[in-house]
Amino acid sequence: MAPGSSTGLLRHPTLAGDRPPETTSERLVLALRDVAKTYPNGRAALRDVNLTVPEGDFVFLVGPSGAGKTTLIKLLIRDELATAGQVLLDGQDLGRLPRRQVPRVRRKVGIVFQDYKLLPRKSVWENVAFALEVTGTPGRRIGPAVDRVLRLVGLAAQARQLPTQLSGGEQQRTAIARALVHDPRLIIADEPTGNLDPLISWEIIQLLLRINEMGTTVLMATHNAEVVTALRKRVVGLEDGRVVRDEVGGAYHRED
Amino acid sequence: MLTFVVFSVRRAWQGFWRNSLMSLAATATMILMLLLLAGFWIIQTGLNAGLQFIEQKVEVVADLNDNAPADQLLQVETTLRGMPQVASVTFVSKDQALQDFRARLKARGQEDLTGYLDTNPLPNTLEIKLKNPQDYGNVVDYLDGQPTVVSQVTPIQNLVNQVVTVTNFLRTVGVVVLILVGLTVLFIIVNTIRLAVFARAEEIEIMRLVGASDAFIRWPFIFEGAMVGLFGALITLVVLAVVATPLQEFMYGFFRVLPLQFGTLVVRDLTLLVVGAGVGLGVLGSYVSVRSYLIR
Repeated sequence: MAPGSSTGLLRHPTLAGDRPPETTSERLVLALRDVAKTYPNGRAALRDVNLTVPEGDFVFLVGPSGAGKTTLIKLLIRDELATAGQVLLDGQDLGRLPRRQVPRVRRKVGIVFQDYKLLPRKSVWENVAFALEVTGTPGRRIGPAVDRVLRLVGLAAQARQLPTQLSGGEQQRTAIARALVHDPRLIIADEPTGNLDPLISWEIIQLLLRINEMGTTVLMATHNAEVVTALRKRVVGLEDGRVVRDEVGGAYHRED
Repeated sequence: MLTFVVFSVRRAWQGFWRNSLMSLAATATMILMLLLLAGFWIIQTGLNAGLQFIEQKVEVVADLNDNAPADQLLQVETTLRGMPQVASVTFVSKDQALQDFRARLKARGQEDLTGYLDTNPLPNTLEIKLKNPQDYGNVVDYLDGQPTVVSQVTPIQNLVNQVVTVTNFLRTVGVVVLILVGLTVLFIIVNTIRLAVFARAEEIEIMRLVGASDAFIRWPFIFEGAMVGLFGALITLVVLAVVATPLQEFMYGFFRVLPLQFGTLVVRDLTLLVVGAGVGLGVLGSYVSVRSYLIR
C-alpha cells in the first residue's frame, strides 16, 4: 500500500536523527524528542527515542524484554527523568515540571499493570474510589464517578466484592476502571494481558479498544503477538533502547 | 480541605491500630518521658518559687543579746544604716518575733505550744536588707565584731546559694535525662511510623501513580505521630491529676515554708507543656521518618 494513505501501511522513518512527521493539525498527547535515559549504574536504557502520539491514537509498544518499554513508561509518568531530550505530555515538558506539579500531571495519565496493583482489603468500588479520594476529590463527586466507570468496564454487579473474590480478568477491569476514573488523556497499559488466558485477554483488549473509541488515547506495551498482529493498529517497536520501527497497521513481528 | 483532613485523620487512626503493639509501645515511652518532664518541671517551679520567697526576705539576720546596752545597739543600727551596701535595717523585738511565729503556726494549722513557755526564747533581731544580695561580706564582718550586742549572724545568702546550687544541679541532671529520654522517644516514633509506612508501601505506590499530592501521602503519617503524642499527653495528664493531691502534700511536707501549690496558672502551663512536648515530638518523629522514606 502507498505510504501516507490513511488506511494502509505507513512507515515513519526511524533512522537516528530523523524525526517522525509532526502532526501539527492534531493535538499531541505525547511527544518525545531525542530522548535518552541512562541509569546511574551506566546502563543506557533508551537512546535517541522520537515518538509522537496524537490524541485518540491506539499504539502498541512491542519489543523483547529489556528493550526499554518499562523505562519508557516510567518516563511518561515522570517516575524517572530523561537524561537527554524532551518528554512532553499534553504539551507539558516533564523534565522542567516542578515537583509540586507532578501529581497534577499524573492525573492526566491512567496506568494499568500486569499485576493489577489493587488493594486487597478494599472492595472493587473502594479501590476505584481510592484514586479519587487521595487526589482530594470532594466526597459527593466520588460516588457518581465510580459508578460510571464500573458500569463502563462491566463490573457494576461486583462493586462490593474484594479483589480476591474476582477472576483475573475482573481484577484487570477493576484496574482499568481505576485508571479511567480521573478522565485521563492517556491510558498506559503495561502488559495488561500478561497474566490472563487468551480469551480473557481479548476481553481486556476489547475494553481498551472501546475506551479508545470513546476518545481516550491508549498506549499498550505487550508481548501478545496474536493481538497485535490481528488488530493492525500502530505498532512502535523498541530494541536495545531504540525505536526500530513505527508503523501504522503493523504486525507484532517485522514484516519486511 | 475538609476532605483532606478527614481523610488524613481517618488513615492515621487506621494506621495507629493496624500496628497497635508498636503504637502502644511508642505511646508508653512517650508517657514515661512526659511524666519525667512534668516531674522535673514541678520540682523546678517549686524550687524557683522557694528561692524567690527566700530572696524577698531579709538577707542578713543578726540575733541580738537580750542584755545589749541600748546605746550600743543604737550605734550599731546607725553604723549599719551608714554602710553603702545596706538598703534597710529593721529592728524586730522578741515579742513581735513570737507573735509572727504564732501566726505562722496558725496559718499552717499546727498546734500552738508556745503558751507553755515561761519565757520568750526568741531573740531580738536586726533584719538587714542589702542593695546587692551577694554583697554581704562587710556587713557580716562588722556584726561579728560587735559581740556585746550581736550574738549570732546568719547571712541568708548562704542558704540561697545552697538552694541555687541544688537547683542548678537538678536542672542540669534533669535536662540531660530529658534529652536522653526524648531521643529514645524520637527513635521509637521514627521506627513506629516507618513500620506504618512500610505497611502502606503498596498504597503509597498506588497513590503516587494515580497522582496523589505529597501532602495526601505524608500527612496521615504526621497525624499518626501526633496521635501517639496526644494519647501519651492525655494519659500523662490523667496520671498527674490522680497523684496531684498526694504529691502536693508530700511537697508541702518537704519544702515546708515554700508556697507550692497547683494553682490554675501552674495547671495551665503544665498542660500546655505536656501536650506541646508530646504532640511536638510525635510530629517531629513522623516527619523525619516520612521525609527520609518518601523523598526520591
